[in-house]
Amino acid sequence: MASTRPETPGTFQVKVVDRLSGLPWWLILLLLGGAILAFQFASNETYQQIFRRILSGILVTLSITALGYSCALVLGLLAGLGRVSKNVVLFNLSTLYVQVVRGIPMLVQIFYWGFVIFPGLIGLLNVFGDMLAPALGADNILAKIKPSDINLYWVVVIALAFAYGGYEAETFRAGIESIGKGQVEAARSLGMTYFQAMRFVVLPQAIRRVLPPLGNDLISMLKDSSLASVLGVRDITQEARLYASTTFRYVEAYNSLAFIYLTLTLTLSLLTRWIETRWKQL
Amino acid sequence: MTQPNAIIQIQDVHKHFGNVHALRGVSTHVNKGQVLVVIGPSGCGKSTLLRSINGLETIDSGRIIVDNNTIDAKHQNINAVRAEVGMVFQQFNLFPHLTVLENLTLAQIQVRKRAKPESIDIAHDLLRKVRIPEKINMYPGQLSGGQQQRVAIARALAMNPKVMLFDEPTSALDPEMINEVLDVMLDLAAEGMTMLVVSHEMGFARNAASRVIFMDAGAIVAEGTPQEMFDNPTNDRMKQFLSKILH
Repeated sequence: MASTRPETPGTFQVKVVDRLSGLPWWLILLLLGGAILAFQFASNETYQQIFRRILSGILVTLSITALGYSCALVLGLLAGLGRVSKNVVLFNLSTLYVQVVRGIPMLVQIFYWGFVIFPGLIGLLNVFGDMLAPALGADNILAKIKPSDINLYWVVVIALAFAYGGYEAETFRAGIESIGKGQVEAARSLGMTYFQAMRFVVLPQAIRRVLPPLGNDLISMLKDSSLASVLGVRDITQEARLYASTTFRYVEAYNSLAFIYLTLTLTLSLLTRWIETRWKQL
Repeated sequence: MTQPNAIIQIQDVHKHFGNVHALRGVSTHVNKGQVLVVIGPSGCGKSTLLRSINGLETIDSGRIIVDNNTIDAKHQNINAVRAEVGMVFQQFNLFPHLTVLENLTLAQIQVRKRAKPESIDIAHDLLRKVRIPEKINMYPGQLSGGQQQRVAIARALAMNPKVMLFDEPTSALDPEMINEVLDVMLDLAAEGMTMLVVSHEMGFARNAASRVIFMDAGAIVAEGTPQEMFDNPTNDRMKQFLSKILH
């Protein structure tokens, strides 16, 4: 609210300008665009059709993200602990993992898992199946399984988990290293083991500090889950692509797709910000 | 060389940091119930000596025996030793994400395997002893430096150590808070706690110390009672040092 008693002429205008320039215009514009699109969805039959079609992939998108992210957190925590470990083997193994995974584009990693690693594993299973044929019979499952039996949904989940595990490892490492050496010394001097010191003293503080980057990575992964479409997994991107290529309604399809991604990422970003502020109060 | 009553024996300990010879054959001992105050110019190795007693620094050669547990260059037994040795740091090192009560109970529950109610009772008793029972549910960040250091002392005492190590416990404090911490330490000394204190608080040394050690360049160069050491210092290096810190 502007002051009701401007002290000198001009103050009122200055205050109004200050207020106006301080408003989150980007959000207002975004909501405006969203409202226009929402109006379209409500009134335009084509949009309604597209929207329904794309939303049929939403569970795939969300579950890939949720599963992939949970696994990435576990992998990242383990590899992050390896990165700060004094154990030469653990340190080098986790560093190798982090460097490899962070140096290859996400898209290429998905291809690699889908077309190299999994078919390779299947080939290996076939060899075992053939070797065990005398015991298991000639048509045992190990011998019969084909690369086309792989569920590509899980390939994408694993590829995302592995790649993001590398990113989270570095996030956790940075968080752990940001906690002063005195904390570990105090814990150790009380007789705690290294793992007790990590679990009860260092990690609770480190994780609180790395919540913002962890939240960002969750949003990144949601966006990268769209790469599932290159393997034909029917997430929202794949549904939009399929719809557009059969109806040639590219504008409507990708408008709707972008709208849905933005809604999801903005919601997640608000959610993570809320969690961060709550945790900071503790 | 072996002292029958000694709870800590330090025998010919050497330690290098790269090219720096931080401890050059240090030997001394602390008897049960004694308060040993270590003084010396910065970089003389007094903190390193203290930290090697509970294994926060490894030693290159020699032996440290704490209550029949031996620490040597192979660095074994370290957890057995740590369980008997409480440590108070210059920077307090309280756990900032835990309340005062949780700071005091964490290691009791995880290391000493005490039941939670018992650990809470002990925490209450110790906070009364360090004279801040009302701060039990606060976080370290809400306390003054002097209060934090008293909580840190209580946290170490909660493990029932046989020996307490103090590494410049008042050096990070504002002047008006030094005495509240020293008073707690004097109480402890009066109760017969064995203490090894790195400190430049001459008042404390005079009142509480059974023995004062002066270290310089990684070696003990003089030792004696506080009276001998402060009133009639014979060592030149010690005289020089005292003239600087006593103004």
